[in-house]
Amino acid sequence: MKREKLKKIEGLRRLREKLAKQRAAKKSWVIISSGTCGRARGSSKVVQAFKDVVKKHNLEEKVNLRITGCHGFCQAEPNVIISPEEIFYQRLKPEDAKEIVMETVLKRRVIPRLLYVDPQSGERITYKKDIPFYKKQHRLLLENNLMVNPKSIDDYLAIGGYKALSKVLEKMSSEEVIEEIKKSGLRGRGGAGFPTGKKWEACRRAKGDVKYIICNADEGDPGAYMDRSLLEGNPHTILEGIIIGAYVIGASEGFIYVRGEYPLAVENVTIAINQAKEYGLLGKDILGSGFNFEIKINRGAGAFVCGEETALMASIEGKKGEPSQRPPFPAQKGLWGRPTNINNVETWANVPLIISKGADWYSRIGNDKSKGTKIFSLVGKINNTGLVEVPIGITLREVIYEIGGGIPDNRKFKAVQTGGPSGGCIPRELLNLPVDYETLTKAGSIMGSGGMIVMDEDTCIVDIAKYFLNFLREESCGKCLSCREGIQRMYEIVTDISEGKGKEGDIELLEELANVVKDTSMCGLGQTGANPVLSTIRYFRDEYEAHIKYKRCPAAVCKGIISSPCQHTCPIETEVPVYVALIAKGRFEEALDVIRKDNPLPGVSSRVCHHPCEEKCPAKEVGKPISIRGLKRFAVDYGLRGRIKKAIPLKQTKNQKIAIIGSGPAGLAASYSLVQKGYPVTIFEALSVVGGMLTVGIPAYRLPKEILNTDLQVIKDAGVRIQTNASLGKDITIDGLFNQGYKAIFIAVGAHKSLKLSIPGENSEGVLDSLEFLKAVNLGRAVNLGRRVGVIGGGNAAVDAARSAWRMRNCEKVSIIYRRTEMEMPAFKEDVESAIEEGVEIQFLTTPTRILTQNGKLIGIECIRTKLGEVDESGRRRPIPIKGSEFTIDLDTLILAIGEQPDLSFLNNNQGLEVSSSNRIMVDPETFATNRKGVFAGGDVVTGPNTVIEAISAGKTAAISIDKYLRGESLKRRYSVTRPSVYVEPVELTEEEVAETKYPSMPRLSPKERANNFKEVELGFSEELAVKEARRCLRCDLERKEEKE
Amino acid sequence: MEEKLKVDEVIERYEGDKANLISILQDVQSEYNWLPQDVLTYIAQKLSLPLIDVFEVVTFYKSFSLKPRGKHLITVCSGTACHVRGGHRVLEEIEKRINIEPGETTEDKQFTLETVNCLGCCAIGPIVVMDGEYYGQMNTRKAASLLEKYSKKDED
Repeated sequence: MKREKLKKIEGLRRLREKLAKQRAAKKSWVIISSGTCGRARGSSKVVQAFKDVVKKHNLEEKVNLRITGCHGFCQAEPNVIISPEEIFYQRLKPEDAKEIVMETVLKRRVIPRLLYVDPQSGERITYKKDIPFYKKQHRLLLENNLMVNPKSIDDYLAIGGYKALSKVLEKMSSEEVIEEIKKSGLRGRGGAGFPTGKKWEACRRAKGDVKYIICNADEGDPGAYMDRSLLEGNPHTILEGIIIGAYVIGASEGFIYVRGEYPLAVENVTIAINQAKEYGLLGKDILGSGFNFEIKINRGAGAFVCGEETALMASIEGKKGEPSQRPPFPAQKGLWGRPTNINNVETWANVPLIISKGADWYSRIGNDKSKGTKIFSLVGKINNTGLVEVPIGITLREVIYEIGGGIPDNRKFKAVQTGGPSGGCIPRELLNLPVDYETLTKAGSIMGSGGMIVMDEDTCIVDIAKYFLNFLREESCGKCLSCREGIQRMYEIVTDISEGKGKEGDIELLEELANVVKDTSMCGLGQTGANPVLSTIRYFRDEYEAHIKYKRCPAAVCKGIISSPCQHTCPIETEVPVYVALIAKGRFEEALDVIRKDNPLPGVSSRVCHHPCEEKCPAKEVGKPISIRGLKRFAVDYGLRGRIKKAIPLKQTKNQKIAIIGSGPAGLAASYSLVQKGYPVTIFEALSVVGGMLTVGIPAYRLPKEILNTDLQVIKDAGVRIQTNASLGKDITIDGLFNQGYKAIFIAVGAHKSLKLSIPGENSEGVLDSLEFLKAVNLGRAVNLGRRVGVIGGGNAAVDAARSAWRMRNCEKVSIIYRRTEMEMPAFKEDVESAIEEGVEIQFLTTPTRILTQNGKLIGIECIRTKLGEVDESGRRRPIPIKGSEFTIDLDTLILAIGEQPDLSFLNNNQGLEVSSSNRIMVDPETFATNRKGVFAGGDVVTGPNTVIEAISAGKTAAISIDKYLRGESLKRRYSVTRPSVYVEPVELTEEEVAETKYPSMPRLSPKERANNFKEVELGFSEELAVKEARRCLRCDLERKEEKE
Repeated sequence: MEEKLKVDEVIERYEGDKANLISILQDVQSEYNWLPQDVLTYIAQKLSLPLIDVFEVVTFYKSFSLKPRGKHLITVCSGTACHVRGGHRVLEEIEKRINIEPGETTEDKQFTLETVNCLGCCAIGPIVVMDGEYYGQMNTRKAASLLEKYSKKDED
């Protein structure tokens, strides 16, 4: 259709009215999102499917399709919105088109399976306005993406497009427009935040008959794509802003400089310019006003620095994009030496809005220093990835948690990176910061173009600094020495740190270099290029130190240090990828040998380890992690089925006797390491049984006694002597042991004292503490348990107690009372699931207030419901009691499982040991040496209740210290990077295997089979399942380049 | 010569204006897939520019290639969001598999590997684009299999 040139403003008005009327006649639309990210997810096929359905069933009259740019909610692409109710369907497949047309469009019936499911509440949400992602936004600009087909100027006119231009041409002088923009408080959305009105004024006042206008659409910040979305989704609003700007300044030519990587944006803007020309909104004598203006498009050729205005102008001139010195500013001397006004896409898009609705209206949005809205791209480790438009001044917390829906998989938020390579990382402590230009700058970052990259505990801060330095070193144009060489040197230093080659003093050197680059570079790239380094050092210095001093990468990212995340994360650095690879090849015995090499309690670990290795497994990025513990268990069981090689007593080569106090995992691990080194070792155990918490704390359905005994036998066979019923303080003393000729002592007595709740009635009959209860059950003693049992707590002791109670014959009902939700529960996830499966009731968001008694005997408990408030120091949301929600639970037995601490009452005056206020023995955290010479301590008695594998690690580390001590060496620890000891060739995979992302479910006894017994619940993988799972391993250990050759 | 005709056509489109050098080079490159030296010399002559000025521009911008590119273009997004989701591991895997670094082409001219600073499809990162087709949520495994698929495609 040929468009007729409009010669007068009146003509435009009439056309607009006509189009609006035509549009209003159509009541319902199917609005299909089809921007770049939608297309990457298959929206083009969805669009086609809708067109086909409409054609096939001759529904052109009844079904109105509108193919639009991006709707902002990238996570939900491809999506459609059915107006007028705005029913929101997400993640569509072409097959869904027919059903949507037939059911929803024609019969107004909602299709539940296509609705968005709120990950927090699990509810399906029908309407767009109710989706949390949209609810808190203030979508002045982005909402229009839904209203128009970007390839149709008529759509834009129908919603009042080019009204602002008409108003300016008809009723406003240039000065009035500038005044309006100034009054609105609009500031540059490219990041620097310079007041737009002032900029325009300067350019208008500049002398010269030829002036230029530029729209900076060289959106180079990685992770920022709001400009693309606007250009793709609503190009005319930007053109309208530019035309108004040109008119005000007196420019006759304008340029849109678009990133070459945005083909769809180039396409849509080109179409828009042509259509605007056809209507006479561009070209000569626009709408009869005598004003002439043309717009050209320049495609960027891949140089980040061209986002800097002077470099961008050089690029438009056809030269290499090197920045030049300012002043003179572009307003005086810009493109080809002429006065030039340059604004960012989003800034231009705000202009028609301000003119139409007025500066007063606009300036009511935002905070005192910055007005209006800003679009952010919320990406990275965030549930709701997408573009969000919010009033400036909103807090980071609101953006990340309320709109963004928090961090996926309930992981911990670490930092948010704003401002791209020129910005910085803002840590958790500053989540309440309002997002505006000044505040972010003060925090060491910048607003920038609006990228917000969310990082969680699996993101390494050093790696991020390295990433940005690498980016900047490649993008530095090279003009200034300080930027060119300084960034390169910083990159080299940070690379060294990330590879475990960091030296003391590196951090200080980085800071010094960063400041030099900042102070002596000419353009913004160099001046802000140090931000990623300075801000990360400022907030995460300890993480740099962990890399430099301890050769640890806490996020398990830096390849040069970690080799593979699983091995590095394991407290005893078990060579996971090696044994998994061996299992994949069917070499099971060798796999077991690899496990045993580092782990003195493989059987125990294969049953009860909390597998931090799986938490960091990269396979989870696109599916589920490898079931590492399941595979370990398979190897251990394989060993049990075959002939386990009987350990030969190790040769005693030294005569310094060592006493280990406590036979839990820490004591056992230390003893085994020390007999391996040739020392005579004796364990003193207070109880009549060996194993500490492994024996008395963990129920047999999780850790069968035979498994534990097999591990214990190996340790005993190796030559460790164990003396039971030898309690420290009663039967033995530290001085006494030294007098008996022991040369070193390792205290690993664990944490066996239950904490009290501090509410009245705790000491009534019928109230038990979880440890006493579990001990009695595990030792086969009689326990007097009522029919209805309550357990207070959310940790492993609580779940173990509840599941053990459930297994007792006379028990009918077990309820766990926990004050937060399942997500925050510290107990192992699989055990919580098992408990629920077995029929244990869990009262989440409930806190006990009073224990109810009758004649000194428990009859129930009074509780109050809670709701989750702000995130507290532990990173979890704090439970807040809800007034008036009190209720009671009738109980016969109540088990308290709210935490444990070491019981040091036996230590007469602590026997000279330094003890903390929470009853823990104080040690040097690196060597485990106490303040007493020759006395070491480790495990729960030092850390408080902790995991088995941490205790094993403590025992092994303490053994190294003890050995050094006995040899008269310095205890100073040497740290080294993680490496596997052998190379195992990877397996060849079929395509189906490559696509496999699932976590195999562990075969388990049915709940029925578990009743009234303590048989092991998990049954272990079959050989077939184990090999299949092992083949799924991504073999991160082979990723390092040096291993390539 | 036919080649010159094509270049002439492009230069004509931009009215022979040297300010449009970058656009001209972009259009010429989309014709040839790279920028052969004789073509650059010809463009310099036609625009009355010193050859060094043309080279300056070509070597400054990342999107220009002075070497022929392979049959398949692999573009790995190295945006921040892809990076934090493991995009660098995907890139390294591809580098290892076809034994070239970004910006290079395999000896058999099958693959050219490039990186891009951000494609703005952060929701489905890490992203690899193979001959214009987007592959989201990549991992090392899938990258290896993608390469294999394309290598096989050519054998068939």
